Amino acid sequence: MKKNAAHSSRELGVQSAQKPMRSAVGSHSSTRTGFRGTVLRLLGVFAVLHVLWALLAAALQRDILPSPWVVYPALIHLDGAEMLTHVGASLIRVCAGIGLALAVGLLLGLLMGRSPRWNRLLDPVVYLTYPVPKIALLPVAMLFLGLGEASKIVMIALILVFQVIISVRDAVKAIPIDTYDVLTSLGAKRMAKFTQITLPGALSAILSTLRISLGTAFSVLFFTEIYGTEHGMGYFIMDAWLRLDYPGMYAGILLFSGVGFLLFVLVDLLEYRFMRWRAY
Amino acid sequence: MFNLNKAGMSKKRLQETGAVSALSAPSPAKPSAGAGSGRGLTARGLVVDYGSGPVLGPLDLDLPEHGIYTVLGPSGSGKSTLLRTAAGLVPGFGGHLAYGGRPLGGRDAAAAGVRVGFVPQNYGLLPWHTALANVRNALKIARPQEPRAQREQAALRWLALTGLAGLEGRYPRALSGGQQQRVAIARAFAVRPDLLLLDEPFSALDAVTREGLQSLLLESWRRQPSTMLFVTHDVEEAVLLGRQIIMLTGRGSMPSSEAASSSAGVRLIDNEAVFSQEDRNKRESEAFYEQVRQIRHLMREGW
Repeated sequence: MKKNAAHSSRELGVQSAQKPMRSAVGSHSSTRTGFRGTVLRLLGVFAVLHVLWALLAAALQRDILPSPWVVYPALIHLDGAEMLTHVGASLIRVCAGIGLALAVGLLLGLLMGRSPRWNRLLDPVVYLTYPVPKIALLPVAMLFLGLGEASKIVMIALILVFQVIISVRDAVKAIPIDTYDVLTSLGAKRMAKFTQITLPGALSAILSTLRISLGTAFSVLFFTEIYGTEHGMGYFIMDAWLRLDYPGMYAGILLFSGVGFLLFVLVDLLEYRFMRWRAY
Repeated sequence: MFNLNKAGMSKKRLQETGAVSALSAPSPAKPSAGAGSGRGLTARGLVVDYGSGPVLGPLDLDLPEHGIYTVLGPSGSGKSTLLRTAAGLVPGFGGHLAYGGRPLGGRDAAAAGVRVGFVPQNYGLLPWHTALANVRNALKIARPQEPRAQREQAALRWLALTGLAGLEGRYPRALSGGQQQRVAIARAFAVRPDLLLLDEPFSALDAVTREGLQSLLLESWRRQPSTMLFVTHDVEEAVLLGRQIIMLTGRGSMPSSEAASSSAGVRLIDNEAVFSQEDRNKRESEAFYEQVRQIRHLMREGW
């Protein structure tokens, strides 16, 4: 048993050394059996979590934790069209927030990574503002931008942008300078070096950031959907909670998680498509 | 490696005073005074200084075009710096460097349009591009005016000539070290450079792979001659490949007062006797052994 554990951890170590940025969940190897294995493991964990849930519900016997047998029927009986507007509203906010954060963060991160001068100028700004708990600025955002979409999207972007800047900057800095040598000697222009080296060199970090950002964005989204809206997954769950509709609330949580999972898989597919060169 | 023993060191200064001395006369590369506008590579008072004293030069060189020049020198002699400067990777240098009268390596080099092929020791391939894409993109940068189909054809042709047919779609990680260096050679030749610069390209490879690549390099050069500067620390490799051998003096052993005033010691050694032999006979030939022996002797005597 002990030997087994040591063996598997060594295996994990080797894998993470070859694919440093791989997430634990999304690790698909290039072989088919590896992919099937990953899916089977995911299904296994999914099943175990449900068993634990069912056991806990059975042990507690309280309506604040309904069993899977109650929640799944509630999920199926949700109004499809209504849920679509909730999911749609949430997705638009998340995508807009992430999009905004990526646009600003990539620009600044690439700039700071490539140019020592810009880094000197902006680094203190990032350093000073990074530790500020941005969620505490929610009231400020509401005061300035109102209770509508703008404050929700800006809050998500505000929280994400710093980690995007920092990880992109560090990834760009981590590209060895001699990577540029051959293209420089051929007389490559700035733009060519950027598209051929800087961007692909930082892409792995960008995708990792995107993955982390997704999780964070959904958390922030939940907060922002508590006020000023009647659409969105956060609104739906809180509304069910207020109506004491616990099966509905849990169904909402499941649906919310499912949407998050799909986006996670989407990032994995992007990584699979663009990081193929690393698969060997 | 260089057997610079103490006795040799003391004689060194005598050797250095003659900046260039042709060992085997008559050398076609014998520099004539004021030949700066000639064809080929010329350096006049070339100095590279990163802030703590010169790492190269002042150096004068006249290398006629379409030669293979192997550059030998102890570490610290600035042989890689010379190559990197010519490749345009050392933007701030003193003196003058030109190819065929057109400035090289400096700020006006881009407009002058000398085409440079560069093969670094670490292959310099972009890991996120396939072998073909590495060659293709280099061509796109070096020859943007050429039709895409023509560039694609050139890329495929050189990959095939370097023995990589069928492996074009592989990423560098899926290729062996020797294969990666083949891609780098294909890329350097595919841009049809005026000047081909190789910085210890085979030093990380095993002996058998290295011999194969040395032959491949000569073969490719005969197919498409260019002015080739090949930096190495391996005497046998220098003799095997070079038409002329450039020996650079080590900077580190020079008294700093002398280093600042005199031109760095450069020795141009004619190697035609070995170069003219057929590839497969070269390694076993008398001329080869004799030349290697002579150069080793020179190195012991002091650069």
